[in-house]
Amino acid sequence: MRKFKLYYDKDEEEAWLQSMCAKGWAFQKFFLGVYTFEPCEPGEYTYRIDLMANSFQEQEQYKAFMRETGVEPVAQWYRWCYLRRKASEGPFELYSDVDSMIAHYSRIRRFFTGALVLEAICLLTEINGLLTTGDPVFWFFTGLILAFVVVIASAVHKCGHKIRGLREG
Amino acid sequence: MDKPMPLTEALFYILLSLGEPNHGYGVIQQVSAMTGGRVVLGPGTLYGAINALLERGWISLYSEETDARKKKEYLRTAAGTQALTQEVARLEELVQNARAYLKSDGRGHHAQI
Repeated sequence: MRKFKLYYDKDEEEAWLQSMCAKGWAFQKFFLGVYTFEPCEPGEYTYRIDLMANSFQEQEQYKAFMRETGVEPVAQWYRWCYLRRKASEGPFELYSDVDSMIAHYSRIRRFFTGALVLEAICLLTEINGLLTTGDPVFWFFTGLILAFVVVIASAVHKCGHKIRGLREG
Repeated sequence: MDKPMPLTEALFYILLSLGEPNHGYGVIQQVSAMTGGRVVLGPGTLYGAINALLERGWISLYSEETDARKKKEYLRTAAGTQALTQEVARLEELVQNARAYLKSDGRGHHAQI
């Protein structure tokens, strides 16, 4: 079974995967917005999403570490790792204290900020093309990249909001 | 020598539990047992903490089997033991002062010396 969704907030994405699992659908794979599910016992798993480091070696180390603690890295998309654990083994939280949670959201914010900078450069390039040639194609790409910029900027902002909330306790 | 920073509870307990070689899952279980279930380390927290401790040289890799079934084990180093001892001394100072200055009704007072 497949569903198509675009998420930019990993907490909302986790909540959705959780609600799907409660209905008896276990998340298996992600590809370009397409989520693949397999039947399972309702509520069989708890799902979490984490952002890994950039290097392949560190990613493999991370996944091996997770397996050693009884957590299954069920899917991966670029630096994002989808983790799950059997609900029967108890509550599953990746980050158990405020400091590591702040570090988690800071890492995600840094990731989105980097993407924002790249997209902003692309946007300026498109606007430049638009202004110098007036070619309608540039309207389309400008609009598209502008949409990306807005989404990523709000992702950065949301992370900042969560970090502030954690700091204020 | 820079001023020692207080350790978070997670770092403290991980350092404490790695006096004997142990792997990630073992550390989580041991810390939970030590604290009566109050401190249950999340795997993400533990992963970050272990990397931080490795970087500081307070723990080291004790064994790494190429056999996939064997888990990686870590052990506290001499530098780690020193950091832990300093932290315990700092915490003891806190508790001693609390016992001296904090009255049972919750109010403070100047100690009669």
